[in-house]
Amino acid sequence: MKVISLKPVVDQAKCIGCGICAKVCPAVAITVTAKKAVIAEEHCRGCGGCNQRCPVEAIAMVRMEKPYQVAVAIDDVDYQAITRLCVAAKLHPEQIICYCTTTRAEEVAAAILKGARSPEELSRQTGIRMGCKVECIQPVLRLLQAAGITPERPPGYQWYGLTPTVWDIPEAVKAKYNSRGFYFDEDIKLLEQVVHASVKKEEGK
Amino acid sequence: MRRKPITPMDPRASQYGIAPERVTKRMAAYPEMTSLLIKDLFADTPAVIYPHEEGLTTVRKAAEAALSRVDMSMIKPRDSVNVLASHHGFTLLGGEPYAELLRVVRDVIAERTGTDNIRLRAGVGLRFRETEEYIKRYRLDEHFKGKARGVAPIDEGVAIQTEIGTLYGIKAVYDADWIVHVHNSDVREVHFHRQVDRAVKPFGMSYARIETRSTYHWNMGPRGANFTARSIFESEFVKSKFAFAAFLNMSPSGVVGVTAENDLYVLNDQLTVEGLTYYGKIMTLLGEIDECIVGLDFPCPVPYVFAAGVIYANFVGANDDLFDLDKGLPPYTWYTEAFYDKSGKPLIDSIMPVNPAIKMVVHNYAWGGYPSAFFSEHIPTIVVGQQQAELFNQDPQNLSYMQYAVVANGLDEAMHFAYHAAKTDKVIIFDGAMGGINVSHSLADMLQAKAPAVAKRVDRELMPKWLKQRGVSPT
Repeated sequence: MKVISLKPVVDQAKCIGCGICAKVCPAVAITVTAKKAVIAEEHCRGCGGCNQRCPVEAIAMVRMEKPYQVAVAIDDVDYQAITRLCVAAKLHPEQIICYCTTTRAEEVAAAILKGARSPEELSRQTGIRMGCKVECIQPVLRLLQAAGITPERPPGYQWYGLTPTVWDIPEAVKAKYNSRGFYFDEDIKLLEQVVHASVKKEEGK
Repeated sequence: MRRKPITPMDPRASQYGIAPERVTKRMAAYPEMTSLLIKDLFADTPAVIYPHEEGLTTVRKAAEAALSRVDMSMIKPRDSVNVLASHHGFTLLGGEPYAELLRVVRDVIAERTGTDNIRLRAGVGLRFRETEEYIKRYRLDEHFKGKARGVAPIDEGVAIQTEIGTLYGIKAVYDADWIVHVHNSDVREVHFHRQVDRAVKPFGMSYARIETRSTYHWNMGPRGANFTARSIFESEFVKSKFAFAAFLNMSPSGVVGVTAENDLYVLNDQLTVEGLTYYGKIMTLLGEIDECIVGLDFPCPVPYVFAAGVIYANFVGANDDLFDLDKGLPPYTWYTEAFYDKSGKPLIDSIMPVNPAIKMVVHNYAWGGYPSAFFSEHIPTIVVGQQQAELFNQDPQNLSYMQYAVVANGLDEAMHFAYHAAKTDKVIIFDGAMGGINVSHSLADMLQAKAPAVAKRVDRELMPKWLKQRGVSPT
């Protein structure tokens, strides 16, 4: 869930049509037409990435007269299916996976179960990745992967791909670096405690 | 006779904070405040070269001396060199010492190698224009002859093959024949890196794309997180470009010196030991505080305001030993923040609450641009000024910060409320005071009384454990 209270406004006189804004927009809400940035307001979720990377500072973030909220309901989705998807992604359904919007794994899982097929669709529907624009790409990609979805990369720099997790580290690599204070196996145990807490919670219902 | 408070750093003009003229009163201005010097708390506090009566000259001389021992023969006259910087250095002691180190590095590379193609690439955290602001402030663009730019984690990336799989760096960081890693040893985010591979961290963070940073904070676990950085640094791609590193060697009192090395791991081991030595005692001492009001009064985001070299985020976790790697989840880190359920309860029993000594926070001056709602949600917070509250309400990273905080019209009103509600007269101010710490008289008495026992415990019990956990020899 995210409240959208800001929108970008392009200064047409300043815009040089370089397209950087389109390449960094996590919602893929910007195109360049006739050498000017054009923002599809219905897709924008007010993260300000365009404003922060425009090389000529042609985009201002302005307050919306009527803020609105985006969210995906979880009540009409089988919660066991949500839990299964989250656990497969090694996430607890109630854990936060976006610090800025406090989006929880269950909402993103519900969106996927309802048909979302890419980080961009998930961002538009739930508002995830619409704060810092940095930290939550991997849990999003992990949930999509757990659902058997391989999303197609957008044409810009929005995201490049899934990365390794601590579960993927080869034993030889662990052995090589264990003495340096990384505690790989102990962290796996701890993270799995969190994941399995979801199953316990579900059983308790 | 108590010392006067140390003059805090002036507010800074930035798009991430309120205008400096809006900060009309500082917490250190109250008569009940005093200051303690770190060297008066701990006798083994190292001597510093900055702050110094000679100003930045001491930093320049130390940098030149350190760089004279570094091999630069791999850099040929026509080669390109990216001098890599990070935003954090510019928040230390007014920022000038780090800016001066960057200038010296450029000057020495040019003089020793003959190349003039030396660029500054300055990475950021979550405020993508922050280093652009510093480049202007310290006129680094002029010093780097127009070749200075800020780089952000959403900029174009480059895939890096590592021992554990593909990670991603910022393309502009690596678009030169050689890279020179210029950083500092301030321990800062101990809750994230746990003082494991501190010197390597920027390769997984300020030089890295979003995928890599997300790996750090979601995929690797609270103690394995910084392995992300080592994986990248260990890659053939990065090793083939790495020339040397130069670090501003920090302590809670100021700049201890400058260290430069061709082998980053030699420097890393040295700084691991020194970081634990210099910061271990003051962090442990702050964990002894039983009750207090916290003042945020420094130009950077909420978790990064600092007192005696310790950031507020670390004080929020000071009820546990953040250096102890037997402890998995600190009371505050992003993994911990993620593990609270919808009702606000921890998902697993081993999650400790945030530091219960913090009875109230007076947010007099701190920036947005970092997700900080966890702090106001878990600790009673009073924000000074409607404009500052509005700044947070309009910040995409802090849309819920003010849902948990209240607003006071001015600092006097906020302090009056805090004293009455918190029922303590102990105050600690995170205002970046150089060389010491601004606190109330009552807290000064307590810290002075506890410091000797803390010093003894760190020396005899904690340091040997911390070093053993990291596989580092004290020598």
